Amino acid sequence: MEASRKLVRTFGGMILFSLECLVLTFQNKTKWNQVVEQIFQVGVRSLGMTITAGLFVGAIMAIQIDLQLKDFGAEAFLGGLSTSATLRNVGPVLIAFLLSGKVGAYTSAELATMGVTEQLNAIRLLGANPIEYIILPRIWAVVISSFLLLIVGLMMTIFGGVMFAEIIGVNALNYIYNIPSIVTGWSIALSVVKSFLFGVLIAVVSCYKGYYARGGSVGVGAAVQSCSVTNLMLIILFDFLLSMASSTLQDLFNVGYL
Amino acid sequence: MYLLGVQSVPIIFVSLGFVGLMMILELAFHMRLVLKHDALVPAFSAVLMVRELGPVITCLLLTSRIGAGIAAEIGSMKVTEQLDALKMLSIDFIDYLVIPRWIGAVFSACTLTVLSIAVALFGGAFLATQKLGTSPGEYLNTVFFFVKFSDVVRCLIKAAIFGTLIPFIAAYQGFTCGTGSAAVGEAATQAVVRTSLSIIIADFILTYLFYAI
Repeated sequence: MEASRKLVRTFGGMILFSLECLVLTFQNKTKWNQVVEQIFQVGVRSLGMTITAGLFVGAIMAIQIDLQLKDFGAEAFLGGLSTSATLRNVGPVLIAFLLSGKVGAYTSAELATMGVTEQLNAIRLLGANPIEYIILPRIWAVVISSFLLLIVGLMMTIFGGVMFAEIIGVNALNYIYNIPSIVTGWSIALSVVKSFLFGVLIAVVSCYKGYYARGGSVGVGAAVQSCSVTNLMLIILFDFLLSMASSTLQDLFNVGYL
Repeated sequence: MYLLGVQSVPIIFVSLGFVGLMMILELAFHMRLVLKHDALVPAFSAVLMVRELGPVITCLLLTSRIGAGIAAEIGSMKVTEQLDALKMLSIDFIDYLVIPRWIGAVFSACTLTVLSIAVALFGGAFLATQKLGTSPGEYLNTVFFFVKFSDVVRCLIKAAIFGTLIPFIAAYQGFTCGTGSAAVGEAATQAVVRTSLSIIIADFILTYLFYAI
C-alpha cells in the first residue's frame, strides 16, 4: 500500500513537473544560448561512448541472428534481419540504457548537488524561478542531445553489423545490399519515434529526480541510483508500448509489410 | 548484501516480463516478413532470450541498482572519513567492503538471470497464446526443443562474469572518489556508465568465444 502510494506520487509529480516545463517553454522563456551550452556539456562528451556502444550492439546482434539463421541455411537474410531487429528494438533500448547512465545520471547528479548545497534555494531567494533558469535549458538540452546521440548510435550499429559480417566471412556488400529489402520506412520511423521518446523520458526523469533530491552526499547518491532505475524501467515499458502500438497500426492498415 | 538482490526482484520481474512480450511481437513481425508464417516465433524468441537478452538486460538493471548504490555508499563513506576510521582500526577495507559485495552480486546476478528468463518466457507464452494462437503446451515444447542445456550453462557463465564486473568497478569508483557531495554523484555516474559499457563489451567477447569459434 505504502509502495503503491509512493509510485503514484512519483509519477504524478513527474507529469506535473513536465507540464510546468512545457508551459514555461510555450511562454517563450527558454534560454536557447544556455541550451546550446548544455548540449555541448552533455552531448559532445558522450559521443565516444555512444559510438563504441553502437558498434558492439550491432556486432552482438549480427552474431546472434547469424547463429539462428545458420540452422536454416538462410544466411542471405543476415543483413536485413539483423539490421531490422537492431533498429526496431534492441538498438534503441540498449543505447538508451547507456545514455540514461551517462546523460541522465550526470544531469541528476549535477542538479542534486545544486539542491543539496542550497544553490537552488539561493536562486529562489533572489526572486527567480529555478525551473526557468536551471531546469528548462537542461531538459531541452538532454532531449535534443539524447535524440541525436541515439540516431548516431543506431547508425553505428549498422556499421558494427557490417564489420562483424566481414569478420565471419559474409560479404559486406551482400550484407548492405540486403538491408533495404527488409528494413522498411515504417521500421525507420518507429526507431526514430522511439529514440525521441526515450530522449524525453531520460530528460524528465533525471531532472525530476535531481531537482527533488534531499539530504547531503547520501541524498545525491540515492538520487542518481533511483534516477537510473526509473529510467531503465520506463524505457522498457515504453519500448513495449510503442512496439505494441506499431504492430496494431500495421495490422489495422496493412502497412509496413513487404 | 543478499538483501540488495532480493530488493531488486520486483523491478527485474516487471521489466523482463515486458521484454518477453516485446520479443514475441517483434519476432512475429520479422518472421511474417521473411518466412511468411510464424510457427517458429516461440523458439527464436526463447533462444535469443536465453543466449543474449536475459543476462544482458538483467545485469544492466542490476548495474543501475547495485552498482550506483555501491559507488554512492563507498563514496559517501570516504567523504565522511569512515574509510579512514577503518584504516585506523587496521581493517583491510577490500576484505571488509568489497568481498561480501562481490559474492552477493555474483549470487544475485545468476539467480535473477534465471528467474528473469522464466518470467520473460511466461510473458512470451501469454502473448503467443493470445496473438499467434499457439497453445501453451506447444510453446513449452518448442522452447525445450530449441534451447539446449549448454546454452543455459553459457548464460550462467555470462551472468557470473557480469556480476563480477559490477561490484569491482563500482567499488573502485567509490574508493577513488574526491571530496564533497558533488564527487559522490560523479562517482555513482561514472560507476553506472563504465559498468554498462564494459558489460556490453564483455558480452560481445563472450558471445564470440562461445558461439562463433
